[in-house]
Amino acid sequence: MTGSVGAIDLSVWQLGLAVLLVGVLVAISAWQALGLERDLIVGTVRTIVQLYLVGIILASVFATGRWYWVVFVLIGMTGVATQAAVSRLKKPIPGRYEIATVAIGVSTAVTLAWVIGVVVRVHPWYEPQYVIPIAGMILGNAMTSAALAGDRLQSDLRARTDEIEAMLALGFSGGDAVRPMVRAAVRAAMIPTVSGMMTVGLVQLPGMMTGQILAGAAPLVAIKYQIVVVFMLAVATSVASLLFVRLAVGRYLTPAHQLRRYLL
Amino acid sequence: MMAALGSSEPAPGAADSLFRVEHLSLAYPGRRGQPPTSILKDVSFEVDRGTSLTLVGPSGSGKSTLLRCLNRLAEPTQGSVRFKGRDITSLNPLELRRRAGLVLQTPVLFEGTVRDNLRMQPAAARADLSESRLARALIEVGLDAGFLDRDGATLSGGEKQRVTIARALLGDPEALLLDEPTAALDPPNAALVVETIAALRQSHGLTIVAVTHQPELIHQLGGCLLFLVKGEVQAYECIDGRAHSITDARLQAFLAGKNPPVVR
Repeated sequence: MTGSVGAIDLSVWQLGLAVLLVGVLVAISAWQALGLERDLIVGTVRTIVQLYLVGIILASVFATGRWYWVVFVLIGMTGVATQAAVSRLKKPIPGRYEIATVAIGVSTAVTLAWVIGVVVRVHPWYEPQYVIPIAGMILGNAMTSAALAGDRLQSDLRARTDEIEAMLALGFSGGDAVRPMVRAAVRAAMIPTVSGMMTVGLVQLPGMMTGQILAGAAPLVAIKYQIVVVFMLAVATSVASLLFVRLAVGRYLTPAHQLRRYLL
Repeated sequence: MMAALGSSEPAPGAADSLFRVEHLSLAYPGRRGQPPTSILKDVSFEVDRGTSLTLVGPSGSGKSTLLRCLNRLAEPTQGSVRFKGRDITSLNPLELRRRAGLVLQTPVLFEGTVRDNLRMQPAAARADLSESRLARALIEVGLDAGFLDRDGATLSGGEKQRVTIARALLGDPEALLLDEPTAALDPPNAALVVETIAALRQSHGLTIVAVTHQPELIHQLGGCLLFLVKGEVQAYECIDGRAHSITDARLQAFLAGKNPPVVR
């Protein structure tokens, strides 16, 4: 096995030593009767298999260096992110797949294009070493914020039906009546990102920066990338949650300014 | 059900009819291949200007939904609702809702003072929101101008309900739709609200359609009773004057509390 520049490659035996840590966990779980042994073992196997598969796919995409393979992988990643976001909703929202695809797809495409094309100026633009990990970070965060926003929107619409009806009954438009719930949902989805910006680097080193430093990058280069990443994720999460909520709330209203209560 | 219309009084001319409901049915679409849920089945009735109609029936009989069809908060799947002779689907729903103000069971006051709440009117409505008009609206519901600066959250349930009635009055309605306006109140407060509604009806010549179980409100309103069970009209009787000449045995039993409504 040939390691990438700057990072110590790990042998199968060394990975085995890491698995030993999980073995300790399983023992603790059994001893304390936590009932997590099965999940731990399944989780361990999945971690190894999934990451190996991803590694193999990435290695072959890196090796071919074809733009269409990169795009293909990006589409696949978006599909998985959409599915994951939808499955995190506690109650199904009508049209959730289209809504999640648009919200996650558009927010990721816009942010990725800006970072790759304008900020970092990667050449060629599809350089998988940059595009795939950056897209992965954006997708992961867009997915979480879309799901958070969707959940919050739905629970607020349900809990505040009286308020919405009171507004509609006074002659306010559907958009006016749900504005407070839309605002609350987008805020709820953005708060983790915004509060993350307050403590970034102080509590723990962000994952990407850690990775770059482990791979041998100079800390001052790594932090610059991390700064870009923080801003990029702030934009991606807000665009994803805003789009998701805007599109989803439309499903609960009719052109005659009615609330579809039976969907809640 | 058209037969019920003329059974106790001569068929009124269309000219003074404020609401005319014809063969109205409403069903919510079923989820994933489930059959639709039927809420209302072939309901017809008429409410003349200045008169009142009380919707009674056990919980889940579709009374509240029927009430919401009158100001188009709910959309019938079949049949029609006419307001002053015009099909309400040809009217601007926001305008219709100001002509027929809805008062909910649980009064909804928005954050802020009573003044803020009274001024909560859509800009398009161009309502007169001068201090003197606001004060007059409060007096009409048995409160006074001193309430304008009170924080809405500090009011009693009965005061809150009367503020929401005052707020509806500022839309200059021709009808009030009352959805169990006293059900969430203790007896003294409920009595005050009943008194307020009766007085308003006199002074404004308001048409009233009410959902209520409260005997005092039913008797104060007089007019006609529409007895709904599982979305179907079981009886339609008028109790004008002081003679309570209800002939339908089931309606009699229901009003006497022998068939008490199930608590939701």
